[in-house]
Amino acid sequence: MGQFRIVRGAVAFAALLVCAPLAAQEKTGIKPGFALRPGTARIVLMRPTILVGAQSIGGVNEPNADWTRQARENIALALRQAQANVGNAMVEYDEGASGEGPLATEYAQLFGALADSVIEYQFFAGNRLPTKKRNDSFEWSIGADLGKLRSLAAADYALFITTRDDYGSAGRKVLQMVAAMGGVGLKSGDHTGYAGLVDLRTGELVWLNADRQMGGDVRTAEGASKRVSQLLEGFPGKSSAAVNGAP
Amino acid sequence: MRRLFPIVMTALTMAVTMAGPTIAADPTLSLPTYTPAYEPRTVDERGLWMEADEEERLLRDSPLRIREGKLEQYVRDVLCREVGAERCQSVRVYVMEVPEFNASMLPNGCMRVLTGLLLRARSEAELASVLGHEFGHFELRHGLTGFKAERRTKDRTAWLAILGAMSRTDITDTRISLLASFYRFTRDQEAAADQMGLRYMATSGYPARTAAEVWRQAMAEQDASEIGHGRTPRHSYVSGYFDTHPTNLNRAMALEAAAARMPGGGEARADEYRAAIAPYLPRLLAAQIKTYDVGATDFILASLAAQSGWTGELLFARAELYRARGNPRDLQMASIWFRDARAAGYAAPELDRDLGLTLLRNGQADEARKALNAYLAARPDASDATMIQTLVATEQ
Amino acid sequence: MNIPRSPALLALAALAATPALSNMLVPPGPRTGIANSRLSATPASEWNRLSHTDGKFTEVWTIDGDQLDKVTFFGGVARGKALLREVDRKHHPLPTVKASMLITDIPVLLETTYRIRGARQMTIDTQEPAMLGGHKAIRFTYHFTLDDEVRRKGEGLGALVDGKLYLVTYEAPALHFFDKDVARYRALAASITL
Repeated sequence: MGQFRIVRGAVAFAALLVCAPLAAQEKTGIKPGFALRPGTARIVLMRPTILVGAQSIGGVNEPNADWTRQARENIALALRQAQANVGNAMVEYDEGASGEGPLATEYAQLFGALADSVIEYQFFAGNRLPTKKRNDSFEWSIGADLGKLRSLAAADYALFITTRDDYGSAGRKVLQMVAAMGGVGLKSGDHTGYAGLVDLRTGELVWLNADRQMGGDVRTAEGASKRVSQLLEGFPGKSSAAVNGAP
Repeated sequence: MRRLFPIVMTALTMAVTMAGPTIAADPTLSLPTYTPAYEPRTVDERGLWMEADEEERLLRDSPLRIREGKLEQYVRDVLCREVGAERCQSVRVYVMEVPEFNASMLPNGCMRVLTGLLLRARSEAELASVLGHEFGHFELRHGLTGFKAERRTKDRTAWLAILGAMSRTDITDTRISLLASFYRFTRDQEAAADQMGLRYMATSGYPARTAAEVWRQAMAEQDASEIGHGRTPRHSYVSGYFDTHPTNLNRAMALEAAAARMPGGGEARADEYRAAIAPYLPRLLAAQIKTYDVGATDFILASLAAQSGWTGELLFARAELYRARGNPRDLQMASIWFRDARAAGYAAPELDRDLGLTLLRNGQADEARKALNAYLAARPDASDATMIQTLVATEQ
Repeated sequence: MNIPRSPALLALAALAATPALSNMLVPPGPRTGIANSRLSATPASEWNRLSHTDGKFTEVWTIDGDQLDKVTFFGGVARGKALLREVDRKHHPLPTVKASMLITDIPVLLETTYRIRGARQMTIDTQEPAMLGGHKAIRFTYHFTLDDEVRRKGEGLGALVDGKLYLVTYEAPALHFFDKDVARYRALAASITL
């Protein structure tokens, strides 16, 4: 009896290390009928939050500066290529001499709150707000004032990106295998991210893509390009008229 | 996190390893070899610095940061005076408006100082003793060794959990002893940083004995807070198994013993400190009063008054503190202190408003109206003027 | 230090954290018994009522989610009771409604409560007399910052009726969101009856 309790306790503790099962959830939202403006759209990539690390045996996140630097470069390059392919120009945000750094940071934090809200209250079916349930509606905005920042003048859209990667260490993988033999499911590695596009003329969030299981090894150029195509899944295209009219 | 265990490091700087440096017994003034423009070396260290850089970016842009005046510059000057201009080059200081007694330092040299510390410190030496402790963590690279120990502990615990479950073995005792040694290590790191801070003090000319006084003061404040909450204060000499920090008493005694073997030191520079903080004092006091911790706040006010006397500013703060709690006896004392504050030269018309509201709550309607009318006469366009007018007109 | 041992307790804890009900639509039209109290209102447009609350005297409505806009009804907080659920009663007790409270003490009570619960730089900006469901009330505005370091603005309308506190507040990020729905909130607050 005592023995039984103890074992159950140990399993319960191990369960804390295990990932929660993914609840049924949508990943992408887009404003109905939205298409990028015809011609070359100028997209500013807001300073992305990209953090890459390893996951120790016990699940401790080990931030890795080299991997993160590689990922930042790889993802920026892959994004520029992906956008050039559809005829857009992507530039990285630069506060320049505007003195708008703190405000841009606050907008980035606010965008995080906005993305959280979309994920929790629209994508996550169990928590969906009744007013967000209707006819594929996607009505979210960060406000038109974002587009009035001097450091964003001449831009059409702002792209916000966050990715967080923890690669399971060799030790974590061994633990995972041993745990599996004991019938305990253990997650190794953690790869999440979201990307969202704001129309700077209206402030509307025209598209958001969020995923708790991202693929592509961002430490390599090919992997980053795979990740970017996954991040950009459902990215709004140009209206067909615009595509036809493009040279 | 317990409020009165100050200088709690953030998760990033959280420390642990079972085999870290122990310098607590070394009474000499020798300092570690200084490396100018130190750059992180290993994979782990570079990773932690990168994460710290990200966190620093958020601190830099935070709405809580006090950018006005030269407060951050002054705090940094105190640190530089303490650890020397050369060591100081690696540090940036950010002062955040948070009414808690705390400071922390990230592995990359980013120092975060909360305004609760600035309100409580009574001299440059007291401030320096806390800053020096944090700088000690930084110079001893505790962020890195702590990270490694945390990882090692959790790695072992994870194996224990899985293997224990599979072999139906009770692992509770082993887990507890692993965790206990982890927390013992963090306490050792705190003690090491304390001793390092003491050496900076002694070599810089700030009196080293001040460090122990800071902890004695923290204990007294903790007592006052407990009594204010209707409880009996008690301090233990021995830390619990799972405390990350040594007890305040333990720290104070260790620091006193070590300081006794060091040179006496020079000026604590209390006057300079008071002058530098004075422009920010109303803001710091206002934030502290609203913590609703009457015992601790009254203690802080009394210790400030022990230096400067009960100024109009301190009396006003005390009155506001008791008015906020609002028991009948509080209201009575508050109205007395408001009037004392006026007599001591506190000139702002808001005093009349708050006195009036206090008297009104206490059933002294005629006197209340007089005070409220005085406020309205001085501030006819105040954002709450119509609200106060309504009260004057309707409350009997 | 709490070492989890009992799976049953863990399961219970998980249950407690799971909302028992889903979020509900609040259609336009009269609505009674808000926050289990005498509060009634007639919203002119749709709202969502969240399944979770901040304590037994509260009910939370939102349009885009409570991080982006949040209307809280406090329905008849009695003497000796706090506005919100107590998180750490021993070390950080929340202030309570007092018999001697004046109408101008309502914003003070909210400010203190929020500061204890971790809001930074919480400050009351303006106060003016108003009516809430036919009772003398105070309308006030304020601002504060939470852990996400997004500056938020707030507006409240509160009254003391038969010794109990009735209050409705609206809070949203200062950038964009506050202005977006403040008119809807004001219309809602103006429709309240007691």
